[in-house]
Amino acid sequence: MAKTNISLSAQHIVKRYGGVLALADGSLAVESGEVVALLGANGSGKSTLSKVITGVVAPNKGELLLDGQPVAFASPQAAQSLGITAVYQELSLIPDMTVAENIWLGHQPMKWRLVVDKQEMLAKTGELLDLFAGTVQASLQPEVPVSALPPDERQIVEILKALSLDPRLIILDEATASLDSRQVGRLFDLVGDWQEQGKAIIFVSHRMEEIFRVADRAVVLRNGRSVGSTSIGETGEQELVNMMVGEATVVPRQLTHDPVAAGAAVRLKLEEISAETLHGVSLSVRDGELLGIGGLQGQGQTDLLRAIFGDIPFTGEMTLSGDVVHFGHPRQAMARDVALVPGDRGSEGLLLIRSILENLQLPSWQRYGFPLEMEAARADAGRVADDLRLVRSSLDAPARSLSGGNAQKVVIGKWLLRAPRLLLLNDPTKGVDVHTKREFYNLLAELRREGTAILFYSSDDEELLGLCDRVLVMLDGRISAELSGDNLTHAQLVATSMSTGRAEAQDHS
Amino acid sequence: MNERFQLKYVSLRQPYLFALLLMVVAALVNLVLQPNLLELRVLNGNLRSFLPLMIVTAGQAIVIMGSGIDLSVGAMVSLVTAVLVTQMSLDASAGQILLVILLACGVGMAAGGLNGFGVAWLRLPPIVTTYATSFIFSGLALWILPRPGGNMPETFARWYRQATPLGIPLGIWVAAVLVLLWYLLRKTKYGSYLFAVGGKPDAAYATAVPVTRVLFSTYVIAGLMSAFAALALTLGTSSGDPRIGAAMTLDSIVAVVLGGTRLSGGQGGVAGSILGVIILGLIRNIISFANVPSWYQTLVDALIILIALAGPGLVQLIRRRRVA
Repeated sequence: MAKTNISLSAQHIVKRYGGVLALADGSLAVESGEVVALLGANGSGKSTLSKVITGVVAPNKGELLLDGQPVAFASPQAAQSLGITAVYQELSLIPDMTVAENIWLGHQPMKWRLVVDKQEMLAKTGELLDLFAGTVQASLQPEVPVSALPPDERQIVEILKALSLDPRLIILDEATASLDSRQVGRLFDLVGDWQEQGKAIIFVSHRMEEIFRVADRAVVLRNGRSVGSTSIGETGEQELVNMMVGEATVVPRQLTHDPVAAGAAVRLKLEEISAETLHGVSLSVRDGELLGIGGLQGQGQTDLLRAIFGDIPFTGEMTLSGDVVHFGHPRQAMARDVALVPGDRGSEGLLLIRSILENLQLPSWQRYGFPLEMEAARADAGRVADDLRLVRSSLDAPARSLSGGNAQKVVIGKWLLRAPRLLLLNDPTKGVDVHTKREFYNLLAELRREGTAILFYSSDDEELLGLCDRVLVMLDGRISAELSGDNLTHAQLVATSMSTGRAEAQDHS
Repeated sequence: MNERFQLKYVSLRQPYLFALLLMVVAALVNLVLQPNLLELRVLNGNLRSFLPLMIVTAGQAIVIMGSGIDLSVGAMVSLVTAVLVTQMSLDASAGQILLVILLACGVGMAAGGLNGFGVAWLRLPPIVTTYATSFIFSGLALWILPRPGGNMPETFARWYRQATPLGIPLGIWVAAVLVLLWYLLRKTKYGSYLFAVGGKPDAAYATAVPVTRVLFSTYVIAGLMSAFAALALTLGTSSGDPRIGAAMTLDSIVAVVLGGTRLSGGQGGVAGSILGVIILGLIRNIISFANVPSWYQTLVDALIILIALAGPGLVQLIRRRRVA
């Protein structure tokens, strides 16, 4: 394949959304064969800078140089035609269209200039899907509608869609967030190929280990400003975190292994729980315990939490605080002080156009009588918002106005207002910046001290290793391993996640 | 798991299966009440009376698939009707007739263009925009043609009323042409853009789909279809009524939904919507032949439509009960 050549440089980009300054001074340069990691806490302007480079938004100030020439993109189409494309964090797929239709939307192979050449399109889609062969289910086929795919496969379709344009510059914006370790490994192999082909890659991620694996250089944004560009080989993780957070003294992540107080009562006990994607799951969790659930994505972890919460039907025996229960509706679970923090905060966790106050109080309004005691509701919501250190202009601002990390705080906060005894967490820190994560870990520790039992599913292995007393690894709807004490290591976690039990995945020690 | 997945897949790709079933049932009931239904003359008359709504509904379906809605299609039909019958002379030559038809198409597209401008460029909500423009269009219609009347060359109208090319009713020809055009459209880039814009506009925009132009075009198509429907109506009656389109707006929306197109857009088709029109027409036939007292006709009509609309949802509900 002929080598591509590209150099792109964004210089002192400024972007305002109404009165909000999303990007104050963003600069970034990348060229052929290079992987540049774009780092920064949530709300630091990473997405905005990516969007400026791909022509989704127009900058208010600053210059974009492509191959040395100043350019201004009027639309994503303009950027695409010059070889720049992105794999977006918020998926850009149309749910009701098929995998092939989505990948080729806008640049379908045509015949007779007018009609889409479906055969050609399906064949080319097959070739693209082969790039991820072995890491996806056999059901991922060109003619399957995207709405029928699990999140990891949607993300892969998204990556292939960008690749189908044969771009010179690819921006991977949190593209690994919903992929499992095998899929990430395959993606990184592809990134290596792209580098050899002379493509340039901008890699946006919150996962440090991935940045160290794949990037050559890192550009760090803080509060909308580029605060530095550094070579990965010469920089340590702590150094990068310091640049992102910008605090003089950054405390290393505090992860305390609290052993379960011997006398704590069993809060939840499951016996042989089965549902469509669950096959005989048994577990128990005590008051004040933080029980982790791990494994590859889509092994039934989410459905397990939803079954406990009464959101999907299941068979088997469930005991809560000593009583046998069988919730048929989340309302019943809520009445017994169970709370579920969903993973997809955009679609399940938040009413984006409603105010922060309404979002926080949504599950709790009935406590405020009729007519609603707004003063009390506002005071309670304000207290929780302060506890969570929610950065907000006012409680009346729409939830949409919050950055990712702060939005997630609202999702958690609305359940904390109900003071749950059993907290179910569905991958709560996905796409959340380091700073918010640390606050969140402190919050979990506090909840444990208060005696809340927590069931914590996470796709971030480090989190499970650092926070949990025990980790249950799920595989194909079953619990394949229980790790605790000396067994709770990254190698074990990865090994037991794989169907073969081989620790073939990269153990980066 | 796999089987359910397949079912979901089929129902997504063939949203009008339920409509097809409904049409067969309605046709059978109709046949019992009106045994001569299948005679060519009766069939031709019946289908021809559905024809204007079929054409309007095809346009409405395109707008709804682009996640919009057009409440002005009826008013556009009235407006074009007024233009047609006032501009046409009784002894018009073929050339003159063609000229007037072109003018009518132009008026329809301009009216649709106004809707499209409001929705696509000014980003006004489609319901409000087209509700407002519907008053502009019906006002213009009344201004051009204050009371029913006007001209239509008799030979042309007679051809329309009696034509059964190759022994097949004109209504079937028109339906076939509309469905054929739709299937061709679906295979073009424009077709996939339409589904993309209706399915998730921001995602479509980020994928470099020309969202604004696609939205605009759906309303222009609806306007053009309204013009054709107006032509069919005036040929059917040989005269024009400036309020003739009023009832067609909601009927067209009901027909689109009956045909399995989702009101939120991004899914569905013209073929199903045409089935919807036929179902609607058959239901009205059944009511008039079942000797329902005229006081109750509207009520019965509405109840049947409501049940028909609820059908797919009820099926889902029953299936879910069985799973749970």
